[in-house]
Amino acid sequence: MAVIEVRDIHKRYGETIAVDGVDFDVEAGEIFGVLGRNGAGKTTTVEIVEGLRTPDAGMVRVLGLDPVRDRKALRTVLGVQLQEGMLPDKATAGELVRLYRSFYADGADPERLLGQLGLDDKRDTFVDELSGGQLQRLSIALALVGRPRVAVLDELTSGLDPRARRDTWQLIEQVRAAGVTILLVTHFMDEAQRLCDRIAVFDRGRIAALDTPEGLVRRTHGGGGTSLDEAFLAVTDADADAHADTDTDVDADVDVNADVTVLDDVLRDAGGPDGEVRR
Amino acid sequence: MTDTVTSPRGPGLRAWRALIAHEGRMVRRDTAGLVIPLGLPMLLLVMNGSGDSPPVPGLSGMSQQLAYVLPMVIVLTIATVGVINMPSFLATYRRYKILRRLAVTPARPSMVLVAQAVVGIAQAAAGITLVVVVAALLFGLSAPADPMGIALALVLTTTAMFALGMLVAAVSPTPNSALAIGLVSFFVLMALGGGFGPRGNLPDGVAAVGEYLPFGAGLDTLMAAWIGQPLDVAQLGALAGVTVVAAAVSARVFRWT
Repeated sequence: MAVIEVRDIHKRYGETIAVDGVDFDVEAGEIFGVLGRNGAGKTTTVEIVEGLRTPDAGMVRVLGLDPVRDRKALRTVLGVQLQEGMLPDKATAGELVRLYRSFYADGADPERLLGQLGLDDKRDTFVDELSGGQLQRLSIALALVGRPRVAVLDELTSGLDPRARRDTWQLIEQVRAAGVTILLVTHFMDEAQRLCDRIAVFDRGRIAALDTPEGLVRRTHGGGGTSLDEAFLAVTDADADAHADTDTDVDADVDVNADVTVLDDVLRDAGGPDGEVRR
Repeated sequence: MTDTVTSPRGPGLRAWRALIAHEGRMVRRDTAGLVIPLGLPMLLLVMNGSGDSPPVPGLSGMSQQLAYVLPMVIVLTIATVGVINMPSFLATYRRYKILRRLAVTPARPSMVLVAQAVVGIAQAAAGITLVVVVAALLFGLSAPADPMGIALALVLTTTAMFALGMLVAAVSPTPNSALAIGLVSFFVLMALGGGFGPRGNLPDGVAAVGEYLPFGAGLDTLMAAWIGQPLDVAQLGALAGVTVVAAAVSARVFRWT
């Protein structure tokens, strides 16, 4: 049974269609990437999975639970890491992890978790004195402290330096190794390529393509050793002219990833074309 | 980790305790926010309580000034915490999506509202204790003639002010507007209620309104209970009415995100 089932969900805000028939399954132990530009519908989709929004039509199940109707049960098995800026400045890292631990009947040991995330010496540091990477690790700690079976991680490495990004990726691989199914929202190609077993590329409220990272590349370039960047643009650019004015941030995304790892390297890292990171 | 998803246990007593302790730390560490509710009432008490006016027999041996100023600074303490500080915290939590973050845990964001109110009431209680002790030590404050009346006045004034504070938090889109709306509401209540001098100095119509708003009603009720005068039922009703209406409206319009 799929851990997350999304069946033909639709959502509109007034005249704006945010999600227009999205359909996918996430299997147990998978890292499933949700990739797309701003406004492509990925955040709305994920918020529907989290039960923060109700779809206008369609069905979602997480571990068999309806995110709206079974909200209470879902909260105990779903860990969520939201984008930055959601923690009070004048609380320390240790206090927050202990506070969030208190919300769950069953969960991780706060002190051990802080240690695993490399925040040992930051437990008494206020949130407003943590670096970007430390904040990100803290927010991952809060997502994991209830020992979730499914974790939703949103814009995991935005604003992190390359070193902190790589550390965070390693951490996510460890989390998955512990048996947690992960839904990863990102607009970084290298991140999706490195971490994800499968990627859903969102474009204007729909899934434009859903495949493994190498499958996406093969599909658009016949496996010619190009990067996921180009595959992404090929998948989402078919009618880019029609909404070119809303695409202003796509260039920025590509620039940020100018040093993007090409797919071949990633496959080597993962131990070959059928990389053992996949199941 | 369990294999099946069964009978979720909601956040229990442990979560409540942890959240209240957490909000307590947030309030304590907001040093600037401690100055007004604890400092201003004390300042007004010390400046006005030290007048030389003689004890008045009808006021259980207190001076006229003290019989007025002490209830006034008590209401002031409750109002500053409830109407200015608490909404400012809640609006900040909403702005920085702290309430939204909690919505994806087994804790409910509404627990933060309750925890903030609990901590605010504790803070007000500490401030009130402080002014009462100082008034007793320095200015010969007499014991309240009607302790039950005092308790009733304190409870109703507190619920009314904190319900108004929830309303301020509910309607304020940003932390800045919460502070502005809170301050304006506070000054209007205080001015019409007799916080800047007896209501007798106000135009009749204005004074009549102020008599039934929470500041004036709380002040009169506390003063009456302290010196053993009968409490005004209409004022008690007004305090209860403000509580019910403000709580109901804020529950309807409160935005969590």
